[in-house]
Amino acid sequence: MFDKILIANRGEIALRVLRACKELGIATVAVHSTADADAMHVRLADESVCIGPPPSKDSYLNIPALLAACEITGADAVHPGYGFLSENARFAEILAEHNLEFIGPKAEHIRLMGDKIEAKKTASKLGIPVVPGSDGAVSADDDAMAIAKAIGFPVLVKAAAGGGGRGMKVAHSVDDLAMALSTASNEAKSAFGDASVYLEKYLQKPRHIEIQILGDGRGGAIHLGERDCSLQRRHQKVWEEGPSPVLSAAARAKIGATCAKAMQDMKYLGVGTIEFLYEDGEFYFIEMNTRIQVEHPVTEMITDIDLVLEQIRIAAGGDLPAKQEEIAIIGHAIECRINAENPQTFRPSPGKIAYYHPPGGLGVRVDSAVYAGYSIPPNYDSLVGKLIVHGRNRNEALMRLRRALDEFIIDGIDTTIPLFQTLVRNADIQNGLYDIHWLERFLALGGMDEEPA
Amino acid sequence: MARQPADKSSSSKNDDSALIRELALLLDETSLTEIEIERAGLRVRVARNINVTASMPANFMPAAPAPAAGAAQPAAVTDMAMHPGVVPSPMVGTVYWAPEPGAKPFIEVGTKVSAGQTLLIIEAMKTMNQIPSPRAGTVTQILVEDGQPVEFGEPLVIIE
Repeated sequence: MFDKILIANRGEIALRVLRACKELGIATVAVHSTADADAMHVRLADESVCIGPPPSKDSYLNIPALLAACEITGADAVHPGYGFLSENARFAEILAEHNLEFIGPKAEHIRLMGDKIEAKKTASKLGIPVVPGSDGAVSADDDAMAIAKAIGFPVLVKAAAGGGGRGMKVAHSVDDLAMALSTASNEAKSAFGDASVYLEKYLQKPRHIEIQILGDGRGGAIHLGERDCSLQRRHQKVWEEGPSPVLSAAARAKIGATCAKAMQDMKYLGVGTIEFLYEDGEFYFIEMNTRIQVEHPVTEMITDIDLVLEQIRIAAGGDLPAKQEEIAIIGHAIECRINAENPQTFRPSPGKIAYYHPPGGLGVRVDSAVYAGYSIPPNYDSLVGKLIVHGRNRNEALMRLRRALDEFIIDGIDTTIPLFQTLVRNADIQNGLYDIHWLERFLALGGMDEEPA
Repeated sequence: MARQPADKSSSSKNDDSALIRELALLLDETSLTEIEIERAGLRVRVARNINVTASMPANFMPAAPAPAAGAAQPAAVTDMAMHPGVVPSPMVGTVYWAPEPGAKPFIEVGTKVSAGQTLLIIEAMKTMNQIPSPRAGTVTQILVEDGQPVEFGEPLVIIE
């Protein structure tokens, strides 16, 4: 087992990783930019090293500084969290060259799944159903037109180097296609440094359902059920729940088995999430994330498995925590990502938290690194924290969520708590009747124009 | 502040308080701020009540496993970091006073330096980085030891 882990991240996930390390008795090193010197996890860590000024590229993405911090503290492993370098295959390789363990998948798998075109090909080869689309990148407009007609409009133009909801443009008909292609390509070039794009069928009312998997790197892998992350704004997940309101146990078992088998064949190491669009009873692979995800607590609450702890144990050579038949989905969990944004305009609201009172009680979990008096720096994402509730069934979880949201006080900054208070009282949400377009449609129709009752 | 596990038997209680007294004396005699020992099912930590400064080096030297009080640390850095003549570290690594072991240090207190003159070396992953003076002046304080690990922004020297 590792002696000392360097946490190469910040905010709530850094605190999450720190907690798992402490529970395993592993010494912790918190690295931080100057803007995060007062972060909660920095205060709680055994050691801390300031690695640079606020900009991420000079601090959290600064590989030499991270390596130097490992060197001077004697850390033997690095946990990359999510975002930042968590899916950077080169970083994983560099760590290996320095005899440091990267707590994550093998570099080759990170690389494989990072290229969205290759990922789709690999998924298809492994027997995972994919969205109908172009067989690889599309170049000339002529090719694209023919392919698009074969797939059937509307189509989605996607950046090969994109992911996480970025770099996508819809073409509703042949007239739109040329423009969509050039715009998507140009944006991809400037955002990801790679202009390659591919085409996919645009599904009209899909849900976003993802499967959590865990692999031991030696051919053993299990699935831990699904999370329904259909409620999104600008392709960013806002509310996630598990199990999905629309999936039967049989459907879950079938897609889960397909994913677990694929991970066994790949000899995948660590945690991963296979993301699907789900429409009319069919699953369509969109991408795989080779890291711990923001919404991992949903799965933890319904399976009682500590995913971050398992990441660490497995990276140290440990076995999977359970056999597939021992994994049970118990009850229902819902997570709300609370951002420092105005709940109506979504304008970012960094600043000092004057008063902070999180909710508590049975089945309530808050994963947040903020505290009264803490100033949210403007340099990073606006996530204040995650509120996760668990109940014996979905109705109980919804009631608990309503109660917890009403108790949650964060003064001094704007937060999106009112958005969730509105959503939890909405009939469609209560009935589980939503798809990936629902939230934006709701907001566009003025859903947040009035105060919740 | 001492912390003891739940063993409340009276004889071991006497042994325990003798031990704690001994550790506390040791703290006073040395410049340590914290001592933690563990043996045969008992772990005791004795820490000086830290108001202002837990010295920066103690916080991340690999040889000192006991957690340092994180809250005290910013105070020490802030004092020197605020000095108008401070030269902060531009990187993470290990400080060396001299170009190589056994050689004469680049500077000492009192040395007059010109802008760009090498003050010391910070080594990271086997590469040596010469740290230049940002301005001309006199070295009035050297705040880091030879071989000390430093973080980004840590005060290295004062040049006035």
